[in-house]
Amino acid sequence: MEEQLVIESTHAGTRTVTPTLHRDATAKWFLISSVSYFFIVGMIALAIAAKFVWPELLGTVSILTYGRLRPLHVNGMLFGWLLACDMGLTFYFVPRLCGVRLWSEKLGLATAGLWNVIILGAVVELLAGHNQGLEYAELPMWLDILVVIAWVMYGTNILMTVATRKYQQMYVSLWYTMGTILWTPFVYLTGNFATLFATGVNQANLNWMYVHNAVGLIFTPVGLAIAYYFIPRASNAPLHSHRLSMIGFWSLAFVYVWTGAHHMLHGPISQWLQTIAIAFSVMLLIPVWTVVYNFFATMKGQWQLVRENVSLKFLMSGVVFYLLTCFQGPMHSLRTVNAIVSKTDWIPGHAHMALLGGFSFFAIAGTYYVLPRIYNTKLYSDTLANWSYWLFMIGGLGFFVCLWLGGFWQGWQWNNPSIPFIDTVTALKPIWMVRFFSGVLMFAGITAFLYNFMATILYAGAENETHA
Amino acid sequence: MLKKIDLDARLFVGAALALFFIGGTLTTVMPPLIDKSWGKPFENSDPSKGPTGKLLPYTAQEKKGLAIYTREGCWYCHTQQTRTLLADTKRSGWRGVDAPVSTPDEFVYDSPHMFGTKRTGPDLSHVGGKYDAQWHRTHFRNPRDLVPGSIMPPFPWIANNEEEFQALVAYLQRLGRAKNWRPDNDYEK
Ligand code: HEC
Repeated sequence: MEEQLVIESTHAGTRTVTPTLHRDATAKWFLISSVSYFFIVGMIALAIAAKFVWPELLGTVSILTYGRLRPLHVNGMLFGWLLACDMGLTFYFVPRLCGVRLWSEKLGLATAGLWNVIILGAVVELLAGHNQGLEYAELPMWLDILVVIAWVMYGTNILMTVATRKYQQMYVSLWYTMGTILWTPFVYLTGNFATLFATGVNQANLNWMYVHNAVGLIFTPVGLAIAYYFIPRASNAPLHSHRLSMIGFWSLAFVYVWTGAHHMLHGPISQWLQTIAIAFSVMLLIPVWTVVYNFFATMKGQWQLVRENVSLKFLMSGVVFYLLTCFQGPMHSLRTVNAIVSKTDWIPGHAHMALLGGFSFFAIAGTYYVLPRIYNTKLYSDTLANWSYWLFMIGGLGFFVCLWLGGFWQGWQWNNPSIPFIDTVTALKPIWMVRFFSGVLMFAGITAFLYNFMATILYAGAENETHA
Repeated sequence: MLKKIDLDARLFVGAALALFFIGGTLTTVMPPLIDKSWGKPFENSDPSKGPTGKLLPYTAQEKKGLAIYTREGCWYCHTQQTRTLLADTKRSGWRGVDAPVSTPDEFVYDSPHMFGTKRTGPDLSHVGGKYDAQWHRTHFRNPRDLVPGSIMPPFPWIANNEEEFQALVAYLQRLGRAKNWRPDNDYEK
């Protein structure tokens, strides 16, 4: 009975919608800018991967040194690509799940504009070396303030849309989106403002609380909101269990915030705090497994659809990567495993599987799904979309697997102090070479994605003109 | 309960924030109140309690060095923590003497903190006094001249800027020096 209701309200979205109800202008602008940044920042990603193999490359120009490009890569991908794309997708599905128009397209467009100002400001500031020195919180203060303003604008728009909704019951995607909107300001304020009033270990603890929850309470919930919306949509099947999705949501809300200190295991931070972080990290398996089980059960009997549907390909591969990454996380937080993998190349392998393999795959899937719908046309090329999937998949797997093997091996060598450090560097060069070429494949995937995206929009424009 | 929250947006908002704040305050606000060593600078004059020494605040020059270290992203490749692992104390050690494990009271004046997450290069928590200034200058000009196979980027714009170079070296030479851990006191300048 309960399940029934949800299916109805999710499906009602499309059924009652006439093409004129939703304008989607905000969604369009968020998607266009985010996909463009994906491409631009992808080039920076390639440059820093190349620097591991050819350290002299672009090396003597200060603005192109590794230490300036890396924060640009991380911030560009997190805020320019992923979060912007996620916001764009919520601007698409929140009004549909609520059965009403977006509260204000004007406010939405202003938010998209401001977001672009932030990203362009970040490029200039980070290349100039104006780095605050805290991971994920590198941006200087004036940009931090703009981010908060933009977030309030975004949150107001979405929450007001929910407040004026026609369907009383809220589908899980709405909760996860609302959770993201509510938690983000506090997580962001901790990482970017509270840290300024602390020093040393105290500051580091606030920093890790932020870093961990930027993933756990920003990218995870909005990513899951997208997966919860598009998996049933793309496969035309109702969600397996609404109750399970509730358990997943509330356990996530409770467990995530405790785990920040696991970034400093064995380090100079109180032992008991490390132990608390480990205990809660292991508990993270609960929200993850309930969510993933729900997705798989939804797909039961429908797996053949994955062959034909590129959105589903990205979605279900994303779910598998999400499961793997969230299995790794709790495992690294165990002291014995941590003693080997911590600080090695394993860690970027893990982080990329979460943000690229998991949440970026969800975002790409959502973009492929909504693009033809908001432009009222067909995707420019299904073949190209399929190519982009395989390029991402093979490149991504190459990247993750080589960094795990390499990282594990590196950690193993470090634990033998008779091996000089530099030998552990040269040993990894083949690994970094494979990582670079995997990056080339993924960048080809991004290029195919961008081309398909832009071509769809341009052809839609041309088509509408000939019709008119 | 779950069902009620499902239908009521206000109840939802309250519950989502409450759960967040329980974990949030217990893991960020409480710990420094309980563990005082997070905020009290290291000081020890009793050799029976371990290495002696005192953590001094940063000089203006060292502060400038920290700012350069931050600006150039050295901290993306170098950690500053000797962890409670045997290999760490040995690798940060010097001529057969193990480095002491890093403790919170050695980092009280650090902002931004430079603990780091990734060791593309070696840990620098006890690098103070390991090399002399000339070594650092050559190393910043081109690390491969001193360490073949290194993938550390060159930093000619620091090596060639006397003021910045001196500041950065002053900062590096201070690392790990609050505790007097090298028995012969043979630190390089
Ligand atoms: C791309 C990563 C990277 C960046 C960025 C980087 N380093 Fe390094 N660093 C290394 C590697 C690898 C080594 C080991 C090989 C060597 O000594 O050159 C190293 C070694 C060192 C050493 C010698 C440590 C020892 O115990 O022998 C010092 C000192 C050092 N780096 C300081 C810095 C400073 C200061 C900066 C910023 C201006 C910096 N590094 C930026 C990778 C990096």
